[in-house]
Amino acid sequence: MFFEFLRLAGQSILHRRLRSWLTVIGVFIGIAAVVGLISLGLGFEKTVNDQVAGIFGVDTFIVANEGSFGGGPHGGDADEYALDLALLNSIEGVKVAAALRERTGYVQGQPDESGDQLQGFLPVLGLSPELLTEFESFTGELEVMPGGRLFEPDDVEVAILDLEISQRLGVEVGDTILVAGDGSNELNLTIVGIMAPPDEEEADSEGGFGAAFSAGSEGDTISVPYGTMDLLWGPADDVLVTLVRTEPGYDVDEVADRAEDELNAQGSEIMAITYGDISEQIGQFTNIANAILAGIAGISLVVGAVGVMNTMYTSVLERTKEIGVMKAVGAKNGHVLSIFLIESGLMGLVGGIVGTIVGLAFAIGATALINTGDVFMGGVDMAIVIDFWLIVETLVGSFALGAFAGFLPAKRASKLPVVDALRYE
Amino acid sequence: MSLLQMRGITKDYKLGKTTVRALRGLDLEIRTGEVVAIMGPSGSGKSTLMHILGALDRPTEGQALIDASDIVEMKERELVAVRGRRIGFVFQTFNLIQTLTAQRNVELPMIFQGHNASERHRRASMLLDKVGLGDRVKHRPNELSGGERQRVAVARALANDPEIILADEPTGNLDTETGNAILALLKDLSVKDGKTVILVTHDPEAAVIADRTIRLRDGCVESESAGGE
Repeated sequence: MFFEFLRLAGQSILHRRLRSWLTVIGVFIGIAAVVGLISLGLGFEKTVNDQVAGIFGVDTFIVANEGSFGGGPHGGDADEYALDLALLNSIEGVKVAAALRERTGYVQGQPDESGDQLQGFLPVLGLSPELLTEFESFTGELEVMPGGRLFEPDDVEVAILDLEISQRLGVEVGDTILVAGDGSNELNLTIVGIMAPPDEEEADSEGGFGAAFSAGSEGDTISVPYGTMDLLWGPADDVLVTLVRTEPGYDVDEVADRAEDELNAQGSEIMAITYGDISEQIGQFTNIANAILAGIAGISLVVGAVGVMNTMYTSVLERTKEIGVMKAVGAKNGHVLSIFLIESGLMGLVGGIVGTIVGLAFAIGATALINTGDVFMGGVDMAIVIDFWLIVETLVGSFALGAFAGFLPAKRASKLPVVDALRYE
Repeated sequence: MSLLQMRGITKDYKLGKTTVRALRGLDLEIRTGEVVAIMGPSGSGKSTLMHILGALDRPTEGQALIDASDIVEMKERELVAVRGRRIGFVFQTFNLIQTLTAQRNVELPMIFQGHNASERHRRASMLLDKVGLGDRVKHRPNELSGGERQRVAVARALANDPEIILADEPTGNLDTETGNAILALLKDLSVKDGKTVILVTHDPEAAVIADRTIRLRDGCVESESAGGE
């Protein structure tokens, strides 16, 4: 019987084609806005997730200050933290851990021709050599000028300089600079490499998530091996970030939890962030954004629903006699109610179908437009997400919206006394 | 045998603050298979009586028996069942659904009874053939003449093979010739198929097919006579 009622309702809609389309327009604008905005949100979420996943892989996590991710007891300001890297490397399941620490140190260069010697306080970065060899997806591909090299595992009293600061200090590969740390700690470090200036195109395409690690980014940074920092400033309490890769076969979340517990037990105030944590945060963010956008778009859906209701009330009024005839030939109240509910639901559904098509077209167009600019790091294109369940939910929802909007008019139709309905002119 | 019995029927309507009594203690009896014309001037209570005879409305007082079951006592769904299965209506203004073809209009009462599509299709075609519209099944009401529309309405009234055909001014909107053809069709239903036909009309010419004529005045039976006079 449902299909018969569907057919009756469909015939009625087609009979009032112009009015039905005008009503459908009210619905489809709202649906298009919802589908378009949510699809864009999903595309954004997927793109960011894919980027993060590409950098992290399935076996890597970050150790960061407790307050630096997702809010913590210390807030977001205190980014540096104390770390026992050797302990971290010894934790079961950890294959390799590499850290980055930063200090400002007194630095003295070579005297120039007139005997002047540049000196001053400059940022000194301590990098685990593994950071450059094992975590290239984070650091990007670092290049030194011809004649130089990057750090090697046994390096101690060496440094790599940015091009700009090497020129200001008047040093070249093979020269030494003096770096002073805490107290009387000071070392003469041999320059083993000078960072190649970042190529603009390459910076665009390969800068990656870890562009911040690039010693060439600031122009005045002196990079030294991580262990050298110990000789100058003692045990690390100034770590910016630590990257950890797990042994194959270990669950990254379990190892991350273990590392977090053991390091914090030693007095660190850190948290281990896995891809899952970041993905969850991204999901939360996009969910909130989607809810807000959908809420705004929902307002136009309410307007559309009022349009359906208005059309259905008019329809019931116009077809009062028809309702009387249906009842006279044996229609129950429930039959009349069903026919009108299906009719309004169908209008919602057609609005939903058109709205979904327009919304998806909008999302695809907007994504293409976004991709003409360089919104994401490394020239990554934003993904287009056509979510099957979003479409199903939208179509079911739009039918329900139409039916809901048509409920009161349909109820009125079903309750019309048959004699009054037959007499209606 | 009495198919319909009205005993002491009164019907009051509220019009604003006043109550209008359309039927005043009316009694009548209609037997199976007869053609009865109910006549009377405007305001005599013809339409009100037709609504009660057709189980479209309940009387304010009295008994309205169909096969000894009182419609006053019936629940709404029982009234719906009576209307759907035992009574077929033919209206003065045809009252066809404009969006549906002749075939679908005839199928409509069967849809509400839950008949399957092939059965509906077969019976609707047969009925349209019977009323002489076998070649007009795909036409919508606005593509049919008045006489053809009324034939579709007669076919629709027969859809669920009811015992009673209630025709309210069936020739009111038709020219004489077409009206006569419809009356002949209704008479045939009684003679050949044994249907009980109740003809509500103010037109004496329409009543000529009747076996018996009941005249109303002021909500009461004024007179009864055999034949169409």
